[in-house]
Amino acid sequence: MNIEETLKTLCALPSVSGGEKNAHEALIKLLSQYSDNVKTDGFGNVIGFIGEDNKPTLLLDAHIDRVGMVVTFIDENGFLKVGKIGIDNRTLLAQNVTVYGKEPIKGIVSTLPPHVADKNEKAPDIEDIAIDIGMTKEQAEKVISLGDLVVEEGRFSKLAGTRICTPASDDMAGVVSTLYALDLLKNEKELPFRIAVQFVAQEEVGCRGAAVSSFNITPDYAIAFDVSFAVSKGVSAEQAGKLGKGPMIGISPTLDREMSDKLKKIAQEKNIPYQIEVMNGKTGTDADNIAVTKCGVKTALLSIPQRYMHTSCEVLDTEDIRNTGELLAAFIKG
Amino acid sequence: MENLKQLVKELSAINGASGDESRIRAKIISLLPTDVKYAVDNLGNLIVEKKGRSSPSKKLMVAAHMDEVGFIVTHIDDDGSLCFAPVGGVLPYVVFGRQLAVNGDIYGAVAGKPIHLLKGDEGNSQPKISDLRIDIGAENREEAEKFVALGDYVYFTSEQSDFGDGYMSGKALDDRAGCAIMLQMLNGELAYDTTFVFTVQEEVGTRGSAAAAYSVNPDIAVVLETTTACDISGVEGEKKVCILGNGAVVSFMDRGTVYDRELYKLGFDTAKEIGVKCQTKTVVAGGNDSGAIHKSAGGVRTMAISVPCRYLHSPNCVIKETDLYDTAKLASAMINKLGAMNS
Repeated sequence: MNIEETLKTLCALPSVSGGEKNAHEALIKLLSQYSDNVKTDGFGNVIGFIGEDNKPTLLLDAHIDRVGMVVTFIDENGFLKVGKIGIDNRTLLAQNVTVYGKEPIKGIVSTLPPHVADKNEKAPDIEDIAIDIGMTKEQAEKVISLGDLVVEEGRFSKLAGTRICTPASDDMAGVVSTLYALDLLKNEKELPFRIAVQFVAQEEVGCRGAAVSSFNITPDYAIAFDVSFAVSKGVSAEQAGKLGKGPMIGISPTLDREMSDKLKKIAQEKNIPYQIEVMNGKTGTDADNIAVTKCGVKTALLSIPQRYMHTSCEVLDTEDIRNTGELLAAFIKG
Repeated sequence: MENLKQLVKELSAINGASGDESRIRAKIISLLPTDVKYAVDNLGNLIVEKKGRSSPSKKLMVAAHMDEVGFIVTHIDDDGSLCFAPVGGVLPYVVFGRQLAVNGDIYGAVAGKPIHLLKGDEGNSQPKISDLRIDIGAENREEAEKFVALGDYVYFTSEQSDFGDGYMSGKALDDRAGCAIMLQMLNGELAYDTTFVFTVQEEVGTRGSAAAAYSVNPDIAVVLETTTACDISGVEGEKKVCILGNGAVVSFMDRGTVYDRELYKLGFDTAKEIGVKCQTKTVVAGGNDSGAIHKSAGGVRTMAISVPCRYLHSPNCVIKETDLYDTAKLASAMINKLGAMNS
């Protein structure tokens, strides 16, 4: 499996929270390479099972929604006002966007040029954002409905070494890590677990898809895969991991310490680079909801270090995705 | 006219910030017809002379600038991130949170602390470009130096698009739209001999046009430009400056020029005569090559005809096709009028 190509395919999908169906076809195709039992649920989650029912169930979780915006109003000149879905509103002015109306509609986030703008302008609030779609109100109303989702466009660029700059690697990087582990395991005759994979909806609005799906699956163990902060300008090593230094193994009161320790031990044994990310409570990921499903689920968290989260220029290192997949595969083999 | 739109796209896709105009100039030269004489001067201005059916009694010059706004690499930090400065006026908020390309093909991210980690009113005010960095993924300065040298130019990476009811977006429409109109005029027939100047370094202080106007030494100049339109959500009345869809913009005054009053009126009269839409700017803002040209040598009677353009100096300028066509038609018609002027 080509990690970079798979990431590129997935990061191009316009699956803003609530619009995850836009990613289903591609995900079903990818997951079906490893599972002959792939389905979707009404919430927008994609679920697949591998292995026999009589084994303990290990749930693998990554979210398929991305940050974006939602159309809340069409003004008298045809400009669209929007609400925020996780997106960093400091990054929006003069950006290419696509509104998923009756068809994909291209637009530009409007702004004032330096010739007339106040140079000390504050960061734009989401209420200040207006999308120029080059239409009158009447024209706009024919193709756009309130509630339509908006994607901030950005290119998939190779940077120095094995680093990549793209929108939506939060959390397609988690999805690719999971798929890569399944690819490494595809020739294994027998696994100690029944594997359940959930690629879930609506993480960015409160980890909702994960809660619903893990209720249905009722796993014995779970590992969530997400991105976490990496050291960059203004982000210090005490609050972040480092790009290219391997998966960040989460340690937190809300996570199962035995699983975290086992991941650490396996990484050491197999010579897989890793980093430790200590949190003091909730993790802000799907792991929070999975762990309290039904009677409780032993849950671990692996994070891929990432810079500039929730922008259209998120940066990560594909070696971290590879090593996250390696660590997961080694954990499953036991 | 469809060709004109394609030409604007083709020209604006080429990277050419002030001082780095060689690629766009080569492209324009490749599109010149065979019946013209051209020369490149010491600053890089491309000066093209085309014969018309008659010689005018007053020497005519038409100008548009080839350069666009961009950035230049000023320093490489120990951690491999690049310090950069704007070439021309660019606001930090159209740079923050997106990708730029050094030399057009070394991609990098420009952003800061993730919103999740901001405390208090941190992140509420616009950052300075001098505080931003380009992250090309290099581990340290040594690795970055394999890809980038100080003084390298940096460009926007936005994607061109056609959208809505005849609108187009992309970088550098300022002023490749003017360049495209001049190329179209050069490839057509002219009533009067005219000198066309594709200028350099407009965005850093109308420097190329000052030299070109001196050497061409015209009596009358027409500057073809794009100009500030603020007809967006929440902006009312005169503050819109000019409006997309309302046609070519003929200015009476901006921050660099008080335009020749007679030519200003002739612009509107001519637009009416040939049936194209024409408007003026309702705020004295911005400036263009006219500022240098009109006071060149012993003075040059100057007018500016512009395509109204939203989001100037950003990764995505927006113009309306009908305005582009109106501006092109008015520019051609003005040659006939100006060539016939005797005083």
